[in-house]
Amino acid sequence: MFSTELLVQTLIAGVMIGVLYALMALGITFIYSIVKMINWAMGEFYMIGSFAQYLLVVFLLGRDFWWIAVPLSALSVFLIGAALEPILIKPMFRQALERKDEYATVVTIALLLLLRNLATGIAGPNQFTPGSNLGVVMLGPLPVTGARFAAFLCTLAALALFYVLLKKTWWGLALRAAAQSRIGAQTSGVDILRLDQIAFGVGVGLAGLAGALLAPEFQVYPTNGVVTTVKGFEIIVIGGLGSIPGALIAGVMLGVVESLGAAFIASPYQNVYGFLLVLAVLLIKPTGLFGERVRQA
Amino acid sequence: MKPITRALGSIAISALAGLTGSAQAADDTIKIGLEIPLSPPGDPAAGQLIRRGAELAVVYVNTVMKGVNGGKMIELVVQDSQGKTDVGVAAYRKLATEDKVIGVTGFFHSSVNIAVNEVAKEIGVPTIATQTSAADITAKRYEPAFRTHAIDPIRVEAFLEFAKKMGYKRVSLVAETTDYGIGIAEEMEKQNQAAKAGLELQKITFDHAATDLTAQLLQVKAFKPDLVINIGVGAPVDLIIDQATTVGILPTTPMLVSYDAPERPQFWKLHEKNGVGIYFIAYYSPKQKLSDIGEWMAKAYKEKYGETAIYSSLNGFGDVMILAQAAEMAKSTDPKAIIKALEAGTFKTWADSPVTFPDAPGVYYHNWSPPILILHYTKPNEDWQTAEIVVEHVGGKH
Repeated sequence: MFSTELLVQTLIAGVMIGVLYALMALGITFIYSIVKMINWAMGEFYMIGSFAQYLLVVFLLGRDFWWIAVPLSALSVFLIGAALEPILIKPMFRQALERKDEYATVVTIALLLLLRNLATGIAGPNQFTPGSNLGVVMLGPLPVTGARFAAFLCTLAALALFYVLLKKTWWGLALRAAAQSRIGAQTSGVDILRLDQIAFGVGVGLAGLAGALLAPEFQVYPTNGVVTTVKGFEIIVIGGLGSIPGALIAGVMLGVVESLGAAFIASPYQNVYGFLLVLAVLLIKPTGLFGERVRQA
Repeated sequence: MKPITRALGSIAISALAGLTGSAQAADDTIKIGLEIPLSPPGDPAAGQLIRRGAELAVVYVNTVMKGVNGGKMIELVVQDSQGKTDVGVAAYRKLATEDKVIGVTGFFHSSVNIAVNEVAKEIGVPTIATQTSAADITAKRYEPAFRTHAIDPIRVEAFLEFAKKMGYKRVSLVAETTDYGIGIAEEMEKQNQAAKAGLELQKITFDHAATDLTAQLLQVKAFKPDLVINIGVGAPVDLIIDQATTVGILPTTPMLVSYDAPERPQFWKLHEKNGVGIYFIAYYSPKQKLSDIGEWMAKAYKEKYGETAIYSSLNGFGDVMILAQAAEMAKSTDPKAIIKALEAGTFKTWADSPVTFPDAPGVYYHNWSPPILILHYTKPNEDWQTAEIVVEHVGGKH
């Protein structure tokens, strides 16, 4: 049934969830920009972030200090990523590998399986939640949990901070240089392998941040990163691999399309609408809305 | 003879001895297959609970009954269905053809059970559905298919009895798009019409893997129902409860959860603020009498796990016990003989009433069903054992 109120509610809901998914996509696209590989285990870093948030809030800080737990959770995932990168990813560049892409795919899928099964073995089959003391917030006609609203605001802040760091700091300059040309950056004196480590850590840290922010909303369990990973990949295909503004805009587009489709067309095919959007974009602009063709020698 | 050759020869002989030993051991044990969800997208919590009961049945048969068929011990062979049909079918094939089990039980997801039964029809190793309720599991009248669980028609009879008792007129069904969810929603529509119950129904369906149901629940809110029936399994149950609270459906509109998920210990950890007022289906209450083996199981479960056994574990126990009794009755491990014994015999399970698998019409074929209860949480952190019993429905009149 159509009503203006329902339309407005679903639009708002779609924008909010889209921004949250965009954080995940940003991590994927950022790693690709610098390290030139797809990390298929992003969902598992999301999952680690959510577990870290749960453990910090429930056993250490309490619900009122969730806002301290969030950066700590993201930081812990960053450190895990930075520790894993030299072991798993660096060999791609250190050794003379002929098929780097296949190597990255195999290694990150193996990491995915390892982390997921480890989590299932340790945490068991149950779901957890850090809970939230934040009350319901009215965004126009749409009631939204305080936790989701806070996650939305934190995501916007994180995206803004990320943008500023990329544009205004030396590290940001180095990362942008590496994204344009790894050899050029290396020639200019940038330690490209160290940069890879930082970029990988930052990328998975963004996924961990998404997990920490969404823990009270989508619960905490070993495979909670699966769907958000799929959304993340949909977003980078729509927005363009390597494009940060593209990730945000595509995220919002995906959230709105899925939300409106579920509300006004047929709810069981909610996820299908997103894939239809992906197909439409691929037909019109195969590199994504903000993506660019890349020439490789 | 070179040392390496000697070493290899020793290894070969040891392996052969081991194999021979294993074969000897295999002849002395009777294997029962347990196919359960142990990882998502299945419901691993349910799988673990069923497994606990099944393992206790093995202990009972081997230590109290001292085995079956002249003292042979039984052994459980466990496979993870992951809640996926393709994985479930592969698991059944392995159990039936490689592990040579006498029967496969433990099924929790209707989709998996239905797919497996299509293969069981060909292979012939019987299946006993532990907690799957879709009609097709027994309605197709496949000889190897059996069930010891409430079927959709009986569950929906309980829903309608509840709605009538409470005076509800407008009911929203929020159902996942699985055989279970769609089956219940369609059965509800069918019985509502056939019984002229006069309910105005809204059917909202969603993908089991969805993480955000705001759009769907806003439609429910716009419908202004008297009752919402939550027909999700696993994580979606909790998602619906939480997101229904956010959009303002709960706590003012009552919600009925379609199976016994709220009995699990994690329920109050996830819903400490919005769990009060929830109605839910249950198949067992401590207020009911157990059989002697049921009493044994309840005591052993409490000692081992420090919790009261819930239905999933009780029925997992019961189904392994039934297969063991069938093997004893048949004096054989041949699947055809097991099926004949299941059809002809009367079996003990956890409940005080005996189990039979009649050649009855339609969905009641090869089916035994416990009574359906509808329980109600009226205070925070309430123990399901003391929850108010709102409806006790005994169905299956055929």
